[in-house]
Amino acid sequence: MAVDFKELFGDFKNGLWNENPIIRLVIGMCPTLAVTNSTENGLAMGLATAFVLIMSEIVISLIKNLIPANVRIPSFILIIASFVTFTDYFLKAFFPAIAASLSIFIPLIVVNCLILGRQEAFASKNPVHRAIADGIGMGLGFTWVLTLLGAIREFFGMGSIMGIQLLGAWYRPMVIMVLPAGAFLTLGILVGIMNLISREG
Amino acid sequence: MEKNSTKNLILTLSIIGIISALLLTFVYQWTSPYIQANQAENQRKAINEVLSGAETIKQVEKDGETFYEGYSADGQRIGVAYKNSGGGYNGIIELMIGFDIENQKIFRISVLSHEETPGLGARITEQEFKSNFVNKPFGQYQVVKTPAQSELDVEAISGATISSVRTTRIIQDAVTKITKAYGGGK
Repeated sequence: MAVDFKELFGDFKNGLWNENPIIRLVIGMCPTLAVTNSTENGLAMGLATAFVLIMSEIVISLIKNLIPANVRIPSFILIIASFVTFTDYFLKAFFPAIAASLSIFIPLIVVNCLILGRQEAFASKNPVHRAIADGIGMGLGFTWVLTLLGAIREFFGMGSIMGIQLLGAWYRPMVIMVLPAGAFLTLGILVGIMNLISREG
Repeated sequence: MEKNSTKNLILTLSIIGIISALLLTFVYQWTSPYIQANQAENQRKAINEVLSGAETIKQVEKDGETFYEGYSADGQRIGVAYKNSGGGYNGIIELMIGFDIENQKIFRISVLSHEETPGLGARITEQEFKSNFVNKPFGQYQVVKTPAQSELDVEAISGATISSVRTTRIIQDAVTKITKAYGGGK
């Protein structure tokens, strides 16, 4: 089986922009809205989700022919849940600070529809190497938008980025930006801007 | 055998379930010593933080509660640390609180674990909020939304009043327990 690199690159790029999970497909909203109140949380959440996504896409793509169609969804969920539990233990053991700040949202990756959606739409229909490219693309696409959202909200809401204070004491933080409402406002404006760019381009 | 037969469905899910469980058992065994070490380390750090200057820590049981007494190098009791927990906004908040029994005040508090909203309630772990309780005399604490006026006032975190109130309640409860166990000062 010859590997078509152009196709692979297309799969990878797809997740970064054309079918970006957050700003294009608008899926995986639970962590998007909940944890992006600081840059660091957004980045950590994005990477954790990307890891689970890539690993489960690999496994599911490998065993896709062994799973009967009737139980494919429960099978996907079991595999995803295993990787999520692994991530949860791993972070608690080696990165306790990150685990503490994301707390409940790590176990909640199980129900992130981005992950289940990609298994159903991509990994269960394509060979392993394409699934890896798709996983990395989608994972990074998810991560960069989450990090950007976190950065915007942290900047306006607390006057800092990555915990480093950028604006002085004169700046009165817009508390709404770190509250849930700020997530909706920022995301809405971001999706609008992205649509404007792609329409002109 | 047909692929979608009941037998096949049950078999597939069972095999995936068993393999997942097996792998996770190994992951659990591999990570749990690290997780426990982290927790023990956190507790030790928290005691040292709230009882600054304590050289040796002695664990004491009183009325079924565990207290950590801190002694200085020359054997003087500096203070007592007590771990108290209670409901927060999302889940349990666990605090380590250091008490100066002689002068009837709180030395300092430290947050061991919590499940508050990141960026809002989670700011109970930040110095700005914790400084509310540095050298706080025992008494009835009042949570206020403006800068603290009296010495019993606790300034709430903006956007996280419930977390602030609940944390204060846990500390209040700890003050009651420590006064009961160690009596009223001298």
